[in-house]
Amino acid sequence: MKDLFVLACRLFVGGIFIYASLDKLAHPQAFAEVIHHYRLTPYPLLHPSAHLLPILELVIGSALILGLGSRGAALLAGTLTVIFMAAITSALIRNLDISCGCFNTDGGHDVGLDLLWRDGILLLLCLPPLLARKPGFGLDRFFRK
Amino acid sequence: MRLGASAQAALAGFKWSGPFREAGLLLLFALVLTVATWFLRSDGLPLAADPMGYELELAAPLTVTEKALAFYDEGDYLFVDTRPRVDGDFQTIPGAFFIREASFDDDLLEYFDFMTTEDHFILFGDGDLFTVSNIAARMQDRGYQNLLILKGGLTSWLQAGGEISHRPGGES
Repeated sequence: MKDLFVLACRLFVGGIFIYASLDKLAHPQAFAEVIHHYRLTPYPLLHPSAHLLPILELVIGSALILGLGSRGAALLAGTLTVIFMAAITSALIRNLDISCGCFNTDGGHDVGLDLLWRDGILLLLCLPPLLARKPGFGLDRFFRK
Repeated sequence: MRLGASAQAALAGFKWSGPFREAGLLLLFALVLTVATWFLRSDGLPLAADPMGYELELAAPLTVTEKALAFYDEGDYLFVDTRPRVDGDFQTIPGAFFIREASFDDDLLEYFDFMTTEDHFILFGDGDLFTVSNIAARMQDRGYQNLLILKGGLTSWLQAGGEISHRPGGES
């Protein structure tokens, strides 16, 4: 039962991360503009971030779904979610009227408090795979001692 | 209270080294993949961002190539080539007017009978937004309000398979 719950969390969070990466991978320039709208990233890091983030999301999502390095993937997913929450909070404090760019680089959802709730739930769902002691369902069972 | 106790139980004796090691490996893998895709993708972003492209407040809204192609097919927009004059042969969008920064007033006068302030225009350059935006601002001063700027300029038009006409040097 516990294993099934961990699996459900992994599939959900993994699916979200893979889905979130697709549009960003297809439109790197538009995603760089989305990052720029937050006014947090210095120019030398803007394009490298626009390159790295979608691929990192894809890798994290795939690792969670396959159950390969799932604890590490959950740790990275949680860390990224905390970073996203900090960026959203900072945009809200500064009254920036921008779209979040979470799933769609062309407009999409405006930054708001509801996004913090959504990311909070996502963060909670990262915990079961992170704290799972047994490999459970997935490729980890072949590698983890 | 109970939640705190169960969280404590979950964390008791938990070894963080495993997740951190796995996270490090995944991060490394993502980095390698990022570098590889950056080399392989022909449409990839340059590694260094040009602050001008992000900071510039454009005089007219940007339009993407897909929309510009549709406007071109519908025939509702006139295209304006803002690139500097060249001596040799060059390519441009068929039917485009030439309005250059260096000869702005003369160019506008030349097209006086063909362009009205009610017409809709798409301005394009070679991707240099500063020049195109500057020309858009000067056109607005002369009463031309229906202006759009083609994002990516002629390069993105060519990449999207847009129609092109070849012009001999000196004709512009």
